[in-house]
Amino acid sequence: MNRAWIGGRSVSLEDAVSQAALVLGRSRQPVVAGLGTDVEGARAAVALAARLSGAVDHMHSTALLRDIDCARQTGVMITTPVEARVRADLLLLVGSDLEKTWPELFATLCLTTATPQDEAIARRLIWICPGRLAHRADFGGKLETLGQEVGQALPLIACLRARVNGRNSNPTGIAAKKIDQLVTLLRSAKFGVAVWTAQQLDDLTIEMLNGLVRDLNAETRFTSLPLAAQDNAAGVLAACGWMTGFPMRTGFGRGFAEHDPWRFDAKRLVESGEADCALWISAYRSVAPDWQVDLPIIALTGESAIFRRPPDVQIEVGRPGVDHASIGYLAKTGTLAAIGAGIDKRTNSVADIIGQIVQFLPDSNAWPC
Amino acid sequence: MLIKLKGGRIIDPANGRDEVSDLWIEADRIVAPPSGDTQANETYDVTGMIVMAGAIDIHSHIAGANVNAARLLLPEEHRGTTAAASPTPLANCKWSTFETGCLYAAMGFTTVVEPAVAPHHAIHAHLELADIPIIDKAALAVLGNDDYLLRIIRAKESLSCVSDYVAWTLQATKALGVKVINAGAATAFKFNVRSFSFDDIVPLYGVSSRQIVKTLQQAVSELGVPHPLHVHCNNLGIAGNVDTALTTIAAAGDLPLHLAHLQFYGYGTEGDRGFSSAGARLAEAVNAAKSVTVDVGQVMFGQTVTISSDVLRQFMARHQARPKKWVICDGDSNGFGIVPYKYRMNDFHNAVQFAVGLELFLLINDPWRVYFTTDHPNGAPFTSYPDIFALLMDRELRAEWISKLPADAVAVTTLGGIKRQYTLNEIAIMTRAAPARLLGLNDRGHLREGSRADVAVYRPQRDIAQMFRSAALVFKDGDLVVREGQVAHYRFGRCLTVAPGFDAAINRRMRDYYDNRYAISTDVMMVSEHTMTRPNSFEAVGCVR
Repeated sequence: MNRAWIGGRSVSLEDAVSQAALVLGRSRQPVVAGLGTDVEGARAAVALAARLSGAVDHMHSTALLRDIDCARQTGVMITTPVEARVRADLLLLVGSDLEKTWPELFATLCLTTATPQDEAIARRLIWICPGRLAHRADFGGKLETLGQEVGQALPLIACLRARVNGRNSNPTGIAAKKIDQLVTLLRSAKFGVAVWTAQQLDDLTIEMLNGLVRDLNAETRFTSLPLAAQDNAAGVLAACGWMTGFPMRTGFGRGFAEHDPWRFDAKRLVESGEADCALWISAYRSVAPDWQVDLPIIALTGESAIFRRPPDVQIEVGRPGVDHASIGYLAKTGTLAAIGAGIDKRTNSVADIIGQIVQFLPDSNAWPC
Repeated sequence: MLIKLKGGRIIDPANGRDEVSDLWIEADRIVAPPSGDTQANETYDVTGMIVMAGAIDIHSHIAGANVNAARLLLPEEHRGTTAAASPTPLANCKWSTFETGCLYAAMGFTTVVEPAVAPHHAIHAHLELADIPIIDKAALAVLGNDDYLLRIIRAKESLSCVSDYVAWTLQATKALGVKVINAGAATAFKFNVRSFSFDDIVPLYGVSSRQIVKTLQQAVSELGVPHPLHVHCNNLGIAGNVDTALTTIAAAGDLPLHLAHLQFYGYGTEGDRGFSSAGARLAEAVNAAKSVTVDVGQVMFGQTVTISSDVLRQFMARHQARPKKWVICDGDSNGFGIVPYKYRMNDFHNAVQFAVGLELFLLINDPWRVYFTTDHPNGAPFTSYPDIFALLMDRELRAEWISKLPADAVAVTTLGGIKRQYTLNEIAIMTRAAPARLLGLNDRGHLREGSRADVAVYRPQRDIAQMFRSAALVFKDGDLVVREGQVAHYRFGRCLTVAPGFDAAINRRMRDYYDNRYAISTDVMMVSEHTMTRPNSFEAVGCVR
């Protein structure tokens, strides 16, 4: 049974749901934000936003859209964690936050053990701007590092890329010999994989990395594995993509889907006063938004989320894959996967609750989700 | 509820019918005219109109991680412009699953096959398919670049071992058939191989493309899967590749084999530019090879995007991207490549491609063996189908188009000399009766009593394209879903699957294999009713044995 609160007061689920429908129904410009939910929850949330002529955004859209923006400007070469695990003979890691984004990085990519290929691959590792890290005792192969703080990454990658293309451009002060040595390593990789998280790198650095990977493919094989943000950002992206044609930060105010990363940024919509109501969803980790203003909020989270003030309506939802079976992005496979299949439902999911809210809105039958 | 379609011209080639008659529908089935005085609950006067079974598209890339990547790559190509019609929310989101279902239905299509589902991405593909309204769907599972298959071929394991694996994959992915895409090449490309033909060897595994295709062809046949192995040949899009297609046709032998989007393999090397149509040669070979079926992959002019699991081909074509951006994914087996492309009428190569497709349509004699596709969206978006029907049915219209093509392009084709015009009956064979038979879908593609009440009604007019673009009425499972080309309401169809039996020992083998190689459980990738967002998502189709 889901617990529910109106203005911090404990109420029945039914009262909370009908109050949520009332608040959302009255809203002229709602934003469905957070979107930390499984695929079914995302489908329900996007359909609800369309119906309310609102907008949808995800709490990690800023990072997500960095990778997407670079891809949709110039393209991208990617692979899956599964393929990187069995095939990569060189990993080009960039930034110090990789394991913060994906704690299983080293284990999944077999950096601590032999690869499961027929012929064991001698792994090389180049780590650009790893922070204070000097070596990794748990990595079996040879580790080269370049730079330290992530702010240095762009000129270093640019320098490598220039050298790969036979040009000398080295404003970094790193010895040319070191650059040449790394470039030789990159070019001699049989199947290299660059790994980064857009939560730490900026657009230009990512674009430069994409370019480096592309250029290396003139002669050898190289690809990339941008790590997906948490809270099922990649899974929500998939559903939003097939339902609307666009990533998150898409609005329906004019009766059709419009994508604009600035206009439909939930934080901007809320803090500018354009949005008059928010449906905040955070089912995986129960986080609250970092908005600096108050507006009517319907919150679908775990109980532990701490808001500036109690939301107008708060309904407890289950953790996908823990309290109910779910479909979500699985970092280990890089795909949508069945997570927690077969577990007994302990708490209603985001999709369940949105489904109940919709029942209190008019014309609920016409809606596709 | 009893529905009567009164006085239409019923074109039902599967049953040899082309006559003016009434058609009766009860619930989701076509029924015999009722006896006595029984009156219809609803009567539609379709006098002067054409009544056919709902159309079936056997090869159209409508769902999955690759299609979704293309959506995200090209936001500028599918901006929305008009407000939604209220009964079909999200259908005005361009290139959404919802729009896809509505556009297909408006043309009278009621079943569409997504031909390239990567087994590890099957859950994603099925979730997208489930959000395509109105039509029924099916998936083909892609094998032939996957480590496990290449391993067991290398190890010379028995055919039953391969068959078990194929059957297991069909079950895990809830697919209707098996497709092989440039067999071995995606894997070879990971070893930096940049061209790959039918008898080339995949590094590490030591197996040839031919071995992979022949092994899968036998396994699919052995299992009794109705749809023959669906083959995307090597060397797509390359001048002189007709030899590859001819070699593959010759390799088919007596077992059935389906060659997809054959147009992309119909290129010779004649003429000043070293690029010419080999459509006539290819058509002749298809005419002679009775075990082979083909679909065309017609090119039409305009902006599109190529979406293919032929990663090698897409990588080699990356410099032709318009706009200049592309995605190459080295996936777990095939992966995919997205290369946007604009076919131009005044471009020599594009004009030859356009001609090759029409030559194949017009020179392959048997409409039961040539299927109607554009390889959506690779040759053209499926919304261009009505224009292609018109080109096939009207040689004067064709002559008009040919007159606009570059003369040097027309000169390296035989298109100008072809007089054939498709009849409505042949269109109905190619888009209804034959695909149903090819896929083993006995309940559709025809209007026999007891068959599924998927019915399209068209209003004949001078503009043939307009007739097919906007069906007057469309029924899906007896439910009136389209009037005058407008979708009236949503309903959600099913995904058709096939489930051949297999030795249960393969379950353990696959569990061990995934655990050892990838450290993942097969459970996370298996498609089932539980992984779907709508109930009763699947319907099994019987196997031949």
